[in-house]
Amino acid sequence: MIQSTSLLESWTQENNQLASGCKLQDGQNEPNREHNLFRQRRWSSDFHRLLRKIQGIPPHLDRAQLELSVVYNTCVCFTAQSQFDEAELLLTQTAQRLLQIAGDDPGTSDPSVLWRTALKSVTGTALHRRVLSLLCLQWGVWLAKSRLTAVQDFQEEVSLLEAQSGAVWNDCRAETKEKISNIPILVLDPRRLVDLLKICTAIVQGAERLTEGWSVLSALQAASASPAPRALIAYTHLLSGSCLAHMNRPQMALQCYRKALETDPRCVCALYQSALIYSRLENSQAEIQALRILHSMLLLPSTTEPAMAADRLLSPSLFLCSQSLSSLLSVPSALSVLHSLALKCVIHSRVSEGVECYLDLLAALQSEDQHGVHAAVSTLPKLPRLYLEAGAALLMARRPADCMALCDEVIGSTLDLLPEKVLLEDPVARRVAGSGEVTEEAENGLVRLLWTAAAYLLQGHCYSQLKDWKQAVTHYTRCINLLVKVHYKDTGFSLQMPCADKDAEQGVDLCVLQRLKGLSLAGRGISFAQIDRLREALRDLQLSRQAHPEGVSARRWYGEVLWRLDRKQEAAACWEQTWSNPIPSLSEALPVYAQELQSGPLLDSAELRQKLQELGPT
Amino acid sequence: MMEGRCAAESWAEFGLLGKSGSSLVKCGTGTDVFICTGGEEVYVFTAQEKTLRAVLQMPAAVRDVVVSHDEQLLFVACWSGVYCVNVQLLVPRVSSLLVVGSVLLTLCRTDASWSLTLYQIQRTSQSDPCDLLASFSLPLVSPKVQSDTESRCVLVCVYPGDLMPASSPPHPPRSHYPLQPLLFRRLFGAEAALSKSPVVLCGLPDGRLSFLPLRIPGSRLRILHSLEQSVVFVGASAVMETDAGCAGCLIALGKQGRAVLIRAGRAGLEGGGGTRFTLGCVPGPVECACMDQSRVYYSTGSDLLMVDLWDGSSGTAGRQGDKEDEASRSNPAAFLTPISLNVSGVVALHQPARSSAGEVQLLSLSVRGRLQSIRLPVRTQEDSLSKGPSSQVGRSVGDILSAIGDICERASVLKTIIRSKNQILKQLNQVVNISFLLSNRSESDLKPVRCRGSVRWSRLLQRDSLNLTCVLENLSPFVLERGWTLSVTVLPLSCPLEAGGEASSVNYSFPFSGLGPGESVEVSLPVAAAGDASFPVTVTCSLLFSLWRFLGQEEATAPLDLQSACFSLPLNTLTVDWLHALRLSDPPAPARSSSSPADLLQGFISSRQLRCRGGQASRPEEYSARVRVSSELLRDALGLAPGSPRVSLLEWLLSEGCGGVKMERKGIKTDGSSSVICGSAPDNATVKLTAEEVNVEEKTKPLVIVEVQVKSSSVAAVCGLHHAVLRRIQTLLQKAGSSRMVPTTDLRLALQQAEEQRGQVWEASSVGVSSGQTPPLLLRVYQQLRDGPLLIL
Repeated sequence: MIQSTSLLESWTQENNQLASGCKLQDGQNEPNREHNLFRQRRWSSDFHRLLRKIQGIPPHLDRAQLELSVVYNTCVCFTAQSQFDEAELLLTQTAQRLLQIAGDDPGTSDPSVLWRTALKSVTGTALHRRVLSLLCLQWGVWLAKSRLTAVQDFQEEVSLLEAQSGAVWNDCRAETKEKISNIPILVLDPRRLVDLLKICTAIVQGAERLTEGWSVLSALQAASASPAPRALIAYTHLLSGSCLAHMNRPQMALQCYRKALETDPRCVCALYQSALIYSRLENSQAEIQALRILHSMLLLPSTTEPAMAADRLLSPSLFLCSQSLSSLLSVPSALSVLHSLALKCVIHSRVSEGVECYLDLLAALQSEDQHGVHAAVSTLPKLPRLYLEAGAALLMARRPADCMALCDEVIGSTLDLLPEKVLLEDPVARRVAGSGEVTEEAENGLVRLLWTAAAYLLQGHCYSQLKDWKQAVTHYTRCINLLVKVHYKDTGFSLQMPCADKDAEQGVDLCVLQRLKGLSLAGRGISFAQIDRLREALRDLQLSRQAHPEGVSARRWYGEVLWRLDRKQEAAACWEQTWSNPIPSLSEALPVYAQELQSGPLLDSAELRQKLQELGPT
Repeated sequence: MMEGRCAAESWAEFGLLGKSGSSLVKCGTGTDVFICTGGEEVYVFTAQEKTLRAVLQMPAAVRDVVVSHDEQLLFVACWSGVYCVNVQLLVPRVSSLLVVGSVLLTLCRTDASWSLTLYQIQRTSQSDPCDLLASFSLPLVSPKVQSDTESRCVLVCVYPGDLMPASSPPHPPRSHYPLQPLLFRRLFGAEAALSKSPVVLCGLPDGRLSFLPLRIPGSRLRILHSLEQSVVFVGASAVMETDAGCAGCLIALGKQGRAVLIRAGRAGLEGGGGTRFTLGCVPGPVECACMDQSRVYYSTGSDLLMVDLWDGSSGTAGRQGDKEDEASRSNPAAFLTPISLNVSGVVALHQPARSSAGEVQLLSLSVRGRLQSIRLPVRTQEDSLSKGPSSQVGRSVGDILSAIGDICERASVLKTIIRSKNQILKQLNQVVNISFLLSNRSESDLKPVRCRGSVRWSRLLQRDSLNLTCVLENLSPFVLERGWTLSVTVLPLSCPLEAGGEASSVNYSFPFSGLGPGESVEVSLPVAAAGDASFPVTVTCSLLFSLWRFLGQEEATAPLDLQSACFSLPLNTLTVDWLHALRLSDPPAPARSSSSPADLLQGFISSRQLRCRGGQASRPEEYSARVRVSSELLRDALGLAPGSPRVSLLEWLLSEGCGGVKMERKGIKTDGSSSVICGSAPDNATVKLTAEEVNVEEKTKPLVIVEVQVKSSSVAAVCGLHHAVLRRIQTLLQKAGSSRMVPTTDLRLALQQAEEQRGQVWEASSVGVSSGQTPPLLLRVYQQLRDGPLLIL
């Protein structure tokens, strides 16, 4: 008996030494993650060794207090290293040993039954709160393994835990003060663990239900009031925002996102979600602003690490590994953000900013530093398209020389890969047949051809901007020559593919093809008009109107050429039509370079009106 | 105070500790443990998985090991210096490495795929030397092709020729090839060309040639071509004179000599791609290869060959139109013509270096581990022979001499191989001859290769045992060479009831190395121990031939099927019976006056002992059996003088080699007059053999017969000896060829007796089954049979 008590003391001492060492070192924040991991491994093995010594003898009520404390410490260490299976096994074994003391045998290894019986057997004894704290760890394991139903089954016990947490542990605190040496120390205050688990559960459950389409606003808002690390509070705000966005309340969602950002400035996801909302609200300036901040934050090294640094023993990220949550929290790569920022700037007439962004993007792609390039799934468009978009931006910024250099690169890399001709099948038939390899190859040919043609088109635009009309005609002609290489197998097939069919990539490609045709013909027509070859101009503009009926500048110039040919009535009729629809602003549905850029010579509408008025009286 | 035992768990074995270095165990990164056993190796062991992760081989004995603070670098102190190893890069199963700029690429095979992993090597910052950038994988094709795990993969990097990587040195490193921009674009597409990205080419052992552009977002490993045999070499060459500095042709060589040349075709002629894949063949196997501007050098293991891509049909194919190309594609064998350089045994080559004089120098490693520098003569296009200056001639003579040396070496190796094969064939011929000789004869014939035996009691470690010395005689004209084994099987005919009644055989095999005609080899083996009464024993001799032993260890590395690689030829069979196993002792003392009182006393004591032992319980029954032979017959058969046939009969019985086995005895202790032999049987029972001449009145004429009587207290001994005596007399008489008249008058009496006894046997078997009287009854009948035997005339 004497030996037993002294053993108990020595074990208690060993536990206390380990735990206090653990607490002491845990406070020091190590910069090296690897080192941290190693330290945790050592602790867990030390605790586990002690536990094996203790569990080497049959369970007894005298030692139960110590045993449960060591189990708690060991499991905390296991959990900290994501060894959830080991922790769960240990917990189940401990519950069984506990029942051995009580003399109960539930005859099952189902953890929920085990825990219920164990809890019942110790109700009212000093062991109760220890068992509760172990149950708390079990809760954490379930949460980490995304077994939310198990957590829900224990809602009652968990609420008991919450209710008792104040009273019981305060009591415990008082007791600890009295005889400090005999009480085994715990590495982590169970109250802190309960708080952490509560908010993590709220977040994970919120994310799960949100993806299932439920409203979880109240639970999330309740959770956001609880004491927890900033990052977690930010997550609750973020999820509330997503919930509100689902409920079609964008302004309130924006408020939530702002709160999330205020709570934790590293919550880049909130920023990204806000940008999406602004995009929905068509508040382009705010969207651009958000994207710009997002990009600069993504470039900071701190944000590439997990949002919550593991400075404490149990990092919240251990419990937040649900699939739906991570999909809600995902943010595109810095390069993708930069691209969308550039595109938005160009589309919303902040061209010079857009140009800078594009140049940054291209520089990042060319650089030796490869961080971020090798994302598993890239949302970036293909490189030639990026070049062409950048070229279009440069053109709009009146830097034709730079634009031409970019286009030269595209042409140089694609020109000798172009197919002799592209044969397109009836899209309906192809859809039935499924996409084989041959089709894919043909599509590749089409895509390359469109790139090259667009590059020529942009070069034509550049020359017309420089008022070198002959060169412009040459390049427009090259573009047209390329475009007519595309043939259709089915002659009855209509070329007027609706652009709305954006699901099919082929549809977009065909739409781009028609646009490019219209634009290049229009460009050539305008250039001809400038050098007074009006007949050719008239023909090209007419063809352009056929290829792309929505082209506004083509129609206006058609009128102009008619005017110059002294067919004033026709010109007037043509102009009358154009008043109703102005040149459409740029959209995101099509590549920028396949839209009207207003880079060429413009007709002053006031002058046109004047001409019409002159005509009117006659 | 310690409770319980401490548990020592064994994790791994590292063998005996060496002596020169110090033994160490240190913990490193995470669960890694570094172990030095005092030799030149540092073992990296994972405590978590309990497996050996890596073995670092140091150039000298390891003295000390230390891990850096960030636990990424391992410093090892040896005699020759301090070495630094990056622990993070100890990735298992990496088969190839490549460095492109500041990126390190590793290619390794996992269970289901090939995976290409990119690490960032940062030279400036110390904190994180190697950062994993990305990993790409390509699934394995099928397990069948993948079995070839040892062969290396090939990793090379190509980049567009107009682009010189800023960080690279002026000389492109090995495995980096600048490629003609046109070819580059056609092979890897506009995106790769636009991003000026280096492209990594992997040649896999399953024959696939795959590529990965490094700098394109979202790029993945794609297949360029499949060679359908293990890729040994990937290189690039300038085929045309116009290709300044960058290669216009990509070449991949397969293990069995298949080659593919990838060139850019003319623009627009062949649709979108416009790359021409020309398949070719070179005589394989290709062990290793390297190439300079226009030539591929490769080794088949027996010769080093050079293929010039400018000359010959390939060059013309390149210059002429596409029809030629079509032709060469349809007939790939007529495509690459290699020139032999007469250097054998090259297993590894380094990229050739070309001196300013145009001389090409190759660095090679031979199969015997020799590092060689191979200089190739300058090859001018028109006149390589006439205009060479004297120094060059001298050099070429040197080259030729060294080539002759190489060929000499090769020839001598081949000669040795041929000689040894001839030798083997000769020996196999002998084997076949012997097999025919032994297998064609019928059983009765005397085989030209046979065994003789002789038995002898010997005493070893207080234990008597009967040893059989078996002499294998080769009377055939052939030699028994290595590969033959004499196999002797000892099978007791019966065995004691305690052993289950089932006789178990013991097999002995004696391999011997050579036995010429007329020679013999002698082997010795135990047949029975004292107290073991399981006689007679059949000794079956056979010759075994094992191809495995014949070929020896080095030739038969391939595991031969032991069943099929072995055959057995039976020889003769020997029999060791009770008479062979009989140990003689002095006859009982009272029979004659002995020489010394001590002997007398000894004899007395021994006789008393015998009597005491036997007479403990009412004097045990003496069993006896008799054999009666006409002495005339014996005399004739043995060819004796009409003196004392009885003594000679006994002598003959004990000394004659019967059943191929002789008994070695120091001399039978029967002085002329005595006709009694005493001895002890193997079951330690005392046995008395007497031979008497008796006069018998046989109907009309008196006959002198010799009666041999066996007396013993042991039934087994009596039976066994009786059987042995009968067997000998039987063989004796068979040999003598008895052709005498047999008087028929006695037969009636004998028949009557026999019937009477048969009736008794029948009675015994029917009546006494239940009562347990059967054994005594049968014994009585047996006694009667043995006591009144028929006379052998």
